[in-house]
Amino acid sequence: MASSIPAPAPAELRLAATQESRPRGRRMAWLMRLGLGFVALLAVLAVVAPWVIPQDPERQSLRTRLRPPTLEGADGRAHLLGTDHLGRDILARVVYGSRVSLVVGLAAVLVGGFIGSTLGLAAGYRGGRADAVIMTVADAQLAFPFILLAIGIIAVLGPSFPTLVVVIGLSGWVSYARILRAQVLVLRSREFVEAIRALGGSTVRVVLRHVLPNVLASLVVVATLELARSIVLEATLSFLGLGIQPPTPSWGGMIQEGRDYLDSAWWISTCPGVVLMITSIVISRTGDWLRDVLDPTLRGE
Amino acid sequence: MRGLLPFVVQRLVRALIALWLVSTVVFVVMRLSGDPVPLLLPPDAPTSEMERVRRDLGLDRPLPVQYAVFIANTLRLDFGRSLHFRQPAVTVVRGYIAATLELGLTAFFLAALVAVPIGLLSAMKRNSVLDHAAMGFALIGQAAPTFFLGILFILLLSLKADLFPTSGRGGWQHLALPALTLGAFTMASIARLTRSAVLEVLRADYIRTARAKGLGEMLVVAKHTLRNAAIPIVTITALQFGTLLGGAVVTETVFSWPGIGRLAVQSIYNRDYPVVQCTVFLAAVMFIVINFAVDLLYGVLDPRARAG
Amino acid sequence: MQVTRRELLKGATALGVAGALPQALPGAAQAQTTQKKELVTAQGGDVSKFDPHFSTSSNDIRVSFNLFDNLTSRHPDGKLHPGLATEWKLDGQTTWRFKLRQGAKFHNGDPFTSADAKFSIERTYDPNAKTMVATALATIDRIETPDPYTLVINTKKPDPLLPARLGFYGGQIVPKKYLEAVGNDGFNAKPVGTGPVSFGSWVKDDKGVFDAYGGYWGGKPDFDRWIVRSIPETAPRIAALLKGEVDIITQLPPDQEDRIKANPSTRVEGALYAGLYCLGVNSKRPPLDNPLVKQALSLAIDRDLIVKELWKGRGIVPSQPIAKGDNHFDVKLPPLAYNPKEARERLKKAGYKNEEIFIETTVAYVSQDKPMSEAIAAMWKDVGVNVKVEVIEYSVRAQKNREKSFKGVWWSDPTSTLGDPDGMMWRLLGPGGPMDYWRNAKWDELGNAARFSVDEKFRAEAYRDMTKIFLEYLPWLPVIQPYEDYGLQKHVEWTPNPNQQFEIRRFNLKFRRA
Repeated sequence: MASSIPAPAPAELRLAATQESRPRGRRMAWLMRLGLGFVALLAVLAVVAPWVIPQDPERQSLRTRLRPPTLEGADGRAHLLGTDHLGRDILARVVYGSRVSLVVGLAAVLVGGFIGSTLGLAAGYRGGRADAVIMTVADAQLAFPFILLAIGIIAVLGPSFPTLVVVIGLSGWVSYARILRAQVLVLRSREFVEAIRALGGSTVRVVLRHVLPNVLASLVVVATLELARSIVLEATLSFLGLGIQPPTPSWGGMIQEGRDYLDSAWWISTCPGVVLMITSIVISRTGDWLRDVLDPTLRGE
Repeated sequence: MRGLLPFVVQRLVRALIALWLVSTVVFVVMRLSGDPVPLLLPPDAPTSEMERVRRDLGLDRPLPVQYAVFIANTLRLDFGRSLHFRQPAVTVVRGYIAATLELGLTAFFLAALVAVPIGLLSAMKRNSVLDHAAMGFALIGQAAPTFFLGILFILLLSLKADLFPTSGRGGWQHLALPALTLGAFTMASIARLTRSAVLEVLRADYIRTARAKGLGEMLVVAKHTLRNAAIPIVTITALQFGTLLGGAVVTETVFSWPGIGRLAVQSIYNRDYPVVQCTVFLAAVMFIVINFAVDLLYGVLDPRARAG
Repeated sequence: MQVTRRELLKGATALGVAGALPQALPGAAQAQTTQKKELVTAQGGDVSKFDPHFSTSSNDIRVSFNLFDNLTSRHPDGKLHPGLATEWKLDGQTTWRFKLRQGAKFHNGDPFTSADAKFSIERTYDPNAKTMVATALATIDRIETPDPYTLVINTKKPDPLLPARLGFYGGQIVPKKYLEAVGNDGFNAKPVGTGPVSFGSWVKDDKGVFDAYGGYWGGKPDFDRWIVRSIPETAPRIAALLKGEVDIITQLPPDQEDRIKANPSTRVEGALYAGLYCLGVNSKRPPLDNPLVKQALSLAIDRDLIVKELWKGRGIVPSQPIAKGDNHFDVKLPPLAYNPKEARERLKKAGYKNEEIFIETTVAYVSQDKPMSEAIAAMWKDVGVNVKVEVIEYSVRAQKNREKSFKGVWWSDPTSTLGDPDGMMWRLLGPGGPMDYWRNAKWDELGNAARFSVDEKFRAEAYRDMTKIFLEYLPWLPVIQPYEDYGLQKHVEWTPNPNQQFEIRRFNLKFRRA
C-alpha cells in the first residue's frame, strides 16, 4: 500500500525530495500526459455518467452472464468490456465505480486533511503537553498496520459511506499534521508571532496570513498523494467486503467478484483493476511532479 | 555520545506508549462488536450456561475492570482462549507466525537483493532504456494496489502460464507469487531511493576526482557511492520491513497463505476477540521494535537526528 | 486438451527426455487408473466437531458418518440398509426390535453391544448432554437391552419412521465405556467409533487425517489413509483438483464445471439434493409477518431463470416444501409460479409501505448463495420491494441461527433426513424446532398427527393439507432443489449421496486400479 510519507527518518525525506528522483525525458512527459488525460476523462465520465453511459450498472441479465467484450451481445446491447456473473455491463460498472472511488477518496482527503491540519496546528501552537500527546499518537498510528484497525472498526460498526470516509481519512492525517506543525514551529521561532499576539492579533489571522500560505504548496502535494492512497485503500476495503456494499459498483468489489472467474471470465477483475492501477499511478505521479515543481524544499522537519 | 542516552530513553518511552495505545484501541473496538458468548455454545443452551461462560471469560464485569484485567493479562502475554479454535490465543497465533515470517522475510530479501542493484544500475545509466523501464516498474510497484497486483500475478503467471500454483503454502513455487506481490512496494521504493541516493553521491566532487585519477568507473562507483549511500539505503530498507506487515494482511488473503495476517482478518470476521487482540499486539510489537531499532541505529550513526 | 506445462516438464525430467511422453498424451490410460493408497478430499470448510451428536453441518457429517456407524444406514441408492443392526421389525404398535451385528468392534478394540446403542441413543435426548440432535430421536420412550445383541425400542406413540431416524443425524453409535472414561471434550479431541476409518490427527483449518480401519465389519476401505482438507475458497479448491492434489472436491458450483469436464483426468458427479435450498423467513418481523407480502416475494422470483442460468440447469424448481424423492411428494402440484404483475398486486393488497427487507447471505456456505441473493434482490426491486443484501460471515450466521435473530430472510439448505416430510418440514418448522418463527394451530395439529400415524393414506392427506397451509403462509421461500455436484478424478469410482453424507465405505468408493 503506497504511503505518501513513509517513516519519520529525516534523511529519508531528504532523499525523497532529491530532484533526480525520476528520470526526465520527453518520453516520460508524453506518457504522463496520456495518463492524466485518461484520469481526467474518467473524472468527467464519473460526473456525467447517468446521461452518457447507456447501460445501467446494476441491471442484471442472467441470460447474458459472463460474456466477453462484444459489440453485439445476446441481449442486443453492446458490452464493450463484457458482462459479469450477473450479466451486468462491466464498462458501466467501472465508470460508476469511479464515482465511488473519487468521491470517497476526495472526502477522505478532506476529512484527513482537516483533522490533520487542525491537530498539527494545535501541536505546533500549544507545544508542550499537547504536542507530545499528538505526536505520540501519530507515532503510534504509524507504528501499526492501519489496515487491521480499519478492518476491525468497519467490521464492528458496519460498512457505510460515512464510516468508510472517516476511517480512510483517519488513516492519513499524520502527514498533514507534520507539515502544519513544522511550519508553525518555524514561525514560532521567529518572534513575530509573539509580537503579533502581543499586539492583539488573533490566532486565526496568524494562521491564515502566515501559516497557510507557506504550507499550501506542501499541503497540495500531500493531498494529491493521499488521494491516490485513499483510493487504493477504499478499493482494498471493498475487496475485503468492508467497503461499498453491493449492488453499488466499486472497483475493489468488482475485483473480488471476479476472483472465482479468473480463468474463464478474466475481464471481470482485470478491467476495474487496470483502471484502478492507472488512476493510482497517475495521481501518485502527479503528486511527485507537484512536489518537484511546487516545493523542492519539502524536506520536512 | 552526548545526548544519546536521553534520545534512547525518549524513543523507548514513545515505543511503549505506542504499544499501550494500540492495545487500548483494539480492546475498545473489539468490545464494541457485540456478545461472542452465543457463538460458543450449542443452540439450546440455557441462560445459566451462558452466564457461566460469560463469567469464565470475565465478560460480566464492568468495562473498566475488564480493561484493567486486559492490560494485566497483556503484560503476561495472556490473551485468553480463542473462541474459534478452542485453544489459548497465543498458541493459535504461534502456529501461524512461521508462515508470515517465511513470507515476509522472503519478500523483504527478494526486494532488497533485486532493488539495490537495479537502483544502482539505473543511476549509473541515467535516462537509458533500462533506467526508464526500471523506474516505470518501480512506479507501478509503488502505486499499484497490492491485492490487485496479486490477482494479476495469479492470472498471468499461474492460470495462464501455469508456472506457479494459485494459492496455499508449500514448496518454493507456492512462495514465489506471494513474496513477489508482498515485496513489490518495497522493491519499488528501495529501487527508487537507491537510485536517488546513488545519483546524489555521484554528483559529489570527490567522485569526479576519483574518476579523473583514471580508476575504472565501475570500481569507483561501487566503492564510493555505495558506502555513502549505504546509510540511507539501509535505514529505509529496514523500515520497509515494517510496512510489509500491513501488506501481509492483504497478500495472505489473496493467496490463502496461512499466516497471521489472514488469521487476523478471519478472526475479525469471526468476532474471535482473543486472537485479534493477540495478532494485533504482536504486529504492533514487531513494528515498534523494528522502528525503535532503526531509530536507535540512526541516532548512533547520525548525531543530527537526535534532535527529533 | 489441457496438458499443463508442469506435467510436461515433470515428465521430461523423469525420463531424461525432452518431448512428448505418454503422460503428456491426452486421454492416456494412465490418467484413468492409479496405484495410490491415500484418499484426499477437499471441502469448503473445516470440521468443527468430531462428536457426531454435536453438529449437523455438512462439513462435519462428511467425516462423522465415516468415523461412526448407525444402526441403519441410508445408502446413495436412497434405501435403508443394515448398519450396526442387521434386522429390525415392528412388534406391535409402539415397539421395534433390532437384531444387532455381532463381531463389530470400536477402533480401540472394545466390542460393540446393545449397551453402546442404548447409551448413544439416550445421550442424544439427555437434557444434561445438551446435544445438537436432541429432537432427532425424541419419539423414543424407553430402550431395553435383553441381551448384548438385541435392542428393543419403545416409542411414545406409533412411529413407523424410527429405523429411518436411526439412520441419520443423532443415530451414530458412540462407545459407552470410552466416552464415559474420557468425557465429552476428550471424546471430541480423540473420537472413537466403529466406522471404516479411525481418527489419526487434525490441524484446524488445514487438514484432518484418518486411518483405514482394517477390522471394519463392512470390509477395509480401498485406501490406507484418508486426508480431509479444508479449502474454503472455490478457485483454489478447483485448482487443487485440476492439479491432481486431491481426489474429490465438494461444494462445486455449476458454472465452474466446464473446466473440470474439459480436463481429461477429472469429471463431475452430482446427486439431486434430498432437500431444498430456501430463503428462511423470520416471520416475526414485519412486514414478513404478512402472508401476502411473502406470497408477493415468492411470485417475484424467476426460479426458472436462476436454475437455467446460475445453475446451468442443474436443479429443479420446487413446487412444495417436500423434496422430490421423498414420501408423499405430490407430483400434481405445479412448480412455484413466477408472476411479477401478480406480485405487485399482492404487495399493494398487503399495504406494503416500502419497509426494508433484508437478505442476509453468507458467501459460498450454501452453494451460490451470494449470486442468488443478488439476483433475487434485483427481481424484488423490480416489483417495488425495498430490499437490502447484507453479507455475513458463517460464524455470525451460526450465532443468528441460535438466537433466531435474523433480520429478514437468509439462506438455508434444509435436509430431508428421513425421506419423509416428517424429517424436513416438520423437524425444522415444527414447534420448538430450529426454525420456529411461525405458528399455525391447524398445521401443528396435522404435523403431530402425521408423525405418529401408521396409516400412509392419512399421512398423505395430512401432508397435502399442510402443504396448502404452507404455500399460503410461506415460512420458507423455496428457491431450488439443486443437484449437488462434486469434482472427482477419473480414477475414483464413487457415487454421491443425496443427503450430503460422504460415503467412502468399500461398497461405494473404489480406486480404479490398473
